[in-house]
Amino acid sequence: MSDTRTPLIRLAKRTDMDRKKIWCIRVGSIIIALLLGFIPILLTGNNPLSAYGVIIQGSLSRPIYFKQTVKIAVPLLCCALAIAPCFKMRFWNIGAEGQITMGAVAATYFALFWSNRLPHVPLLLIMFISGAITGGLWALIPAFFKARWNTNETLFTLMMNYIAIGIVAWLQGGPWEGRKGSQLIPMFSDNARIPTVLGVHCGWIIALILVLLMYVYMTKTKQGYEIAVIGDSVNTARYAGMNVGWIVMRTMFLSGAISGIVGFIIVSGANFTLYKGVANGVGFTSISIAWLSQLNSFAMIAISMMLAVLEKGANTLQTRMQIPASIADIITGILLFCMLSSEFFINYRLIIRRGGRKEEQP
Amino acid sequence: MRKVSFVLIALLLLSGFAFASGKAESAAPSDPNTVKVGLLCIGDENDQGYTYNFIRGRDEATEMLKADGITVEWVTKYNIGEDATCTDANIEAAEEGCQIIINNSYGFEPFMLEVVDEYPEIEFISCTNCASAFDGRDNTHNAFADIYEGRYIAGVVAGLKMQQMIDEGTIAPEEAVIGYVGAYSFAEVISGFTAYYLGAKSVCPSVTMKVSFVGSWSDATAESDAALALADQGCIMISQHSDNTTPATAAQSRGVFHTGYNNDMTGIAPKASLISTRIDWGIYFYEAIKAYVNGEEIPQDWCKGMDEGAVVMTELNEAIAAPGTAEKIAEVEAGLADGSIQVFDTSTFTVGGEELTHAFALDTDGDFTADSEEAVYDGAFHESVFQSAPYFTVQIDGIEWLNAAY
Repeated sequence: MSDTRTPLIRLAKRTDMDRKKIWCIRVGSIIIALLLGFIPILLTGNNPLSAYGVIIQGSLSRPIYFKQTVKIAVPLLCCALAIAPCFKMRFWNIGAEGQITMGAVAATYFALFWSNRLPHVPLLLIMFISGAITGGLWALIPAFFKARWNTNETLFTLMMNYIAIGIVAWLQGGPWEGRKGSQLIPMFSDNARIPTVLGVHCGWIIALILVLLMYVYMTKTKQGYEIAVIGDSVNTARYAGMNVGWIVMRTMFLSGAISGIVGFIIVSGANFTLYKGVANGVGFTSISIAWLSQLNSFAMIAISMMLAVLEKGANTLQTRMQIPASIADIITGILLFCMLSSEFFINYRLIIRRGGRKEEQP
Repeated sequence: MRKVSFVLIALLLLSGFAFASGKAESAAPSDPNTVKVGLLCIGDENDQGYTYNFIRGRDEATEMLKADGITVEWVTKYNIGEDATCTDANIEAAEEGCQIIINNSYGFEPFMLEVVDEYPEIEFISCTNCASAFDGRDNTHNAFADIYEGRYIAGVVAGLKMQQMIDEGTIAPEEAVIGYVGAYSFAEVISGFTAYYLGAKSVCPSVTMKVSFVGSWSDATAESDAALALADQGCIMISQHSDNTTPATAAQSRGVFHTGYNNDMTGIAPKASLISTRIDWGIYFYEAIKAYVNGEEIPQDWCKGMDEGAVVMTELNEAIAAPGTAEKIAEVEAGLADGSIQVFDTSTFTVGGEELTHAFALDTDGDFTADSEEAVYDGAFHESVFQSAPYFTVQIDGIEWLNAAY
């Protein structure tokens, strides 16, 4: 082996970095991202500092703006929580978008056709439960195929998204359409809307409860432990006598159920109707959130808030400075990129080959 | 640890600086002759169609108001979806100090109405929809124009061209077939293409029409595909109720003719496009904003027609139009203005072989089926009388719906 050429750049796993340094890298990456974000803003001919100021003001400076920001953060946070156990298990569920959508469909069914037959609280409970079950079942389909025939879950869950969105598109123009040809499903009656607490729909309370539950589930329960073992090594799990297929299906059902609850929260708390863009990319954005927070429930609160600040701020940026909202999307992209790559540099070391001299093989 | 705190302090300073240097908080202007108006658009002016037409109206109204000593500060927001982002955009515009907020797309209205009670002092306008006028609130309004009049005249132009081809022997009378690219089988679209067809039929009695629905208000590729398919099925005249210019280019590529909507399309399809019709939103914006500044009520449901300039024809493409078209347009315009021509004259069309004697205009019980206000009287169906948004949904003879799935 000694005559193989050492590549110019090699990667080596590292475990030796201390916490201080890790945090320096993380904070540094955010600063670098913000500095890089100057470029697109400058290209639009605006002052980057005032643009950042507007983002902060537009998302936090008034109670109503803060409420709007929280409204954006809630589904992101819940969905990141939903994805976390799957990713811990190294089951790449990128179908949260579809699971949210199907949960929203189920909740909408009861909101449209049962709202005049059921009292407020039972109706909301039924919407909640039906959303969870439908989202869970939707997620169970790829999990079943994975457990039974070892199909590729990444592609499978991705494809399921488009089916779910297609179903809503059909409902929108077909059986659930309001005024003929309008493509709009009627707005929910007040009976089918979740109440607000402190000015924001109470989805935020559900989200915070889920944070705690998910933390306990992942760190303190036997099931959480099983998930972690499968994530580390499927063979170890098998050797230990775990029924891997069953655990995969159970975890996916749980994940899909939480996504389904997100769907319920979105239609009943924010949108008050159903349309095909109901998930609005939350299922994908939350993947980044889950990764950035390293599947830590509490870190997800901070990161989903940060992304919500950017999204809400972008809206104000467009209003006040006529900067296109897509510029803010670029900044968000830069930020996510820098933060994800900082995790890379925390976990790996780059070794550059020195001129002429061969490194010793470890 | 020192490094960490250094970085944190730097970050804090940076964010504090950003906070302080941000543009001053926006608020409603204090000068009574300055008014801040939000315009929320479904697209942007690059569509060269629907939203472009609104932007044009905005700029026109600004000029007209300036002459009256009124300054308008516009807050224009583009590419808003017909979904909850529209609710957020309305909140945003309201919080940023807009005194009037105009929603430009049909599907915005239900989301706009979620916000209006929070801001009773702000006037909300939903263009092309119909719930705001009847919701009992003072601060919500609807607006539309009698676009069916413009459609009718565009139909006359198309009919004259086809009749010329028949007279010259280029086509047989039964080959005078119009292909119409519609967005959805929705009242506004049905009303529009029926008016267009009746206009064509008034000067070319043998004309028939095929309608293809594309299932989107704005999908350039689907609109083009539909136009090409219609041309391949023997349509020699293409018209459209959709936001893009691709039906015009498709018509030109197949060597057939075209009439457009929202914008003059003779520039991009000089060999095909004869004329277009559009709503001049400047007229309405001017009236509404002027009323607001003068402390008067903005009309609950505004609707004006061609004689008041709210509906206009674009310039006629004289090079390809049939001779005498310009004179005929003037004649029909005058007829529409004095009432001697009724677009939906029930003696000019049949439904299932019989004359239309009854059709309701309004839906009052919320089941999305019209149930009150008889629209057929004095020998005509009266469009846009009981509400500004069109309500003609009858399928008349001579028009074939190729796909009613949308």
